Amino acid sequence: METSQFLNHLKAEWGAFRAMTRKELIIMARYPINFVASFGQTFLIVAIFTLGGSMFFRANPAAAGTLPAGVSGGNPSGVVVYGFILFMFMSDTLWTIGYNIRNEQVQGTLEQLYLSPSSKFASLIARVTNTLVWTSLLSFTAAALMTLMIGKLPVENPWLGLYLLVMTLAGTFGIGFAFAALTLRIKETAQTVANFLQFALLVLCANFFPFSALPPFILTISHLIPPAYSVDAFRTAMMGFPPGYPELAPFPTEVIIVTLFGLIMPPLGYLLYRRAETYARKRGSLSTY
Amino acid sequence: MSLRSNLSALFASFRMRLTTITRYPGQLVMDILIPIVFAYMPILLGRASGSNSALVFASNTGTTNYTAYMLIGSSVFTMVNFAFWHVAYWLRWEQEAGTLEVLYLAPTHRLWVVGGTALYSCLRGIFSALAAYILGSLIFNVSPFQGEVLLALVFIVVGIIPLYSLTLVYGAIILKVKEANALVNLMQWGVSFFMGIFFPIAIFPPVLKAVALLFPPTWMTNGVRAALLGVGFFFNSWYLDLAVLWGFLLVTPMFGYWVFTRTEKNVRRNEGMGQF
Repeated sequence: METSQFLNHLKAEWGAFRAMTRKELIIMARYPINFVASFGQTFLIVAIFTLGGSMFFRANPAAAGTLPAGVSGGNPSGVVVYGFILFMFMSDTLWTIGYNIRNEQVQGTLEQLYLSPSSKFASLIARVTNTLVWTSLLSFTAAALMTLMIGKLPVENPWLGLYLLVMTLAGTFGIGFAFAALTLRIKETAQTVANFLQFALLVLCANFFPFSALPPFILTISHLIPPAYSVDAFRTAMMGFPPGYPELAPFPTEVIIVTLFGLIMPPLGYLLYRRAETYARKRGSLSTY
Repeated sequence: MSLRSNLSALFASFRMRLTTITRYPGQLVMDILIPIVFAYMPILLGRASGSNSALVFASNTGTTNYTAYMLIGSSVFTMVNFAFWHVAYWLRWEQEAGTLEVLYLAPTHRLWVVGGTALYSCLRGIFSALAAYILGSLIFNVSPFQGEVLLALVFIVVGIIPLYSLTLVYGAIILKVKEANALVNLMQWGVSFFMGIFFPIAIFPPVLKAVALLFPPTWMTNGVRAALLGVGFFFNSWYLDLAVLWGFLLVTPMFGYWVFTRTEKNVRRNEGMGQF
């Protein structure tokens, strides 16, 4: 491909990405209540889990006299807050692409979109961009709220943490593409599958508690999925390698796993998506949901 | 219309909902699994917080049995969740299906139709909550049948009517504001927060505590926990707490109906019911 051709191609990709991002932003802005409610909802979920967790490590001062001397639980703020941040980002990249494809089917615009010469890849990525910006804002504000409620948050190795976060997001983008492919195949059932997987991953990746709390058979499954290593490595780095962390593997091994996950999963997921899309187009089921 | 015809409409609505859900068995399984997984997270956090976590938990809540405490919270949450999604969202559901305007032209009052939906929702909610609590208790190796089981059931049965009445008020808000999904999502977490799903409301500051006490699910959750785990009633005796719930039972249906009919009349006069 000549340089000018390549530049034109790049320009077209960027144009499609911008147009799709703008479209998603306009849709988002038209539902302000939805917007505000999602903020309120996140805060409520954070408050519920934080207050629930604080029952184990913050003894009631009124009952302090009845407790044996030296009784207090460990403060899990780092584990919970960093796990929560990663959970928020992972949820976005994992499910948003699939949900949006389905929305496009419901609105009846997916078939038209695929008849246009615009980039399909840019269109897929654009669906997550606004959500990611919104989630960043939400997670950091929610993390601040959690810190206020359960205590000081350790912030060590932020650059290493950022690298792990980016690699994790790249990897979950890949899973997101694969899930979008699944959505094209299983249609309505995708909603139930997404619900189930969301809860399953929440337990398997131990976002809100240390891995040591998991029963052995669940821990074995956790050892098999890369996002679990992402959670472990991310919070270990951010908490400054406290004793007992990382829990799944030595830190260098975890970094290698997370890096490979971030590099291999996006092209693999996209490949799966293109195959599902080609299959749907051949069968004429692209707009069937 | 005669009472018999109205009851027939109620049961037809109930049967229609039941037929629809039997077509999605996976959803029924998820109904039971979600509260267990939901409670699992704070339970695991408790397990990971060291050997003293149960004692610290008891100093805050009045029981060392945090597994049952969390499971009761998430099971009651299931009922709250169902009430809001099935009844408050019912209007939206009919709007989307394009049948709400038609229902309003039918000779049967829509209260009987929504009554059928509420009955379905109630039974599904109670079944899922009980199944989740019993299954969760067995999984986590705690006894599900401890304390005053019958008294706990009385709290659930008496508390569920004011809960469904509250959803009528919320249904009115949805009728007016339209963005049902976002509002129902927000409200289900709001109620869960105020009812103390994983913690006692005693930890709230006074104003927040007063607001929490205005919600029937708060009395219901604490009643069940006090009956099964002995965490203590708000008024120190079960009959006084139950009396408050009876008070809600008498007031909230009328209040809910009044708010709903006023909003509905207003909406019908202006933009119409089928708009969303």
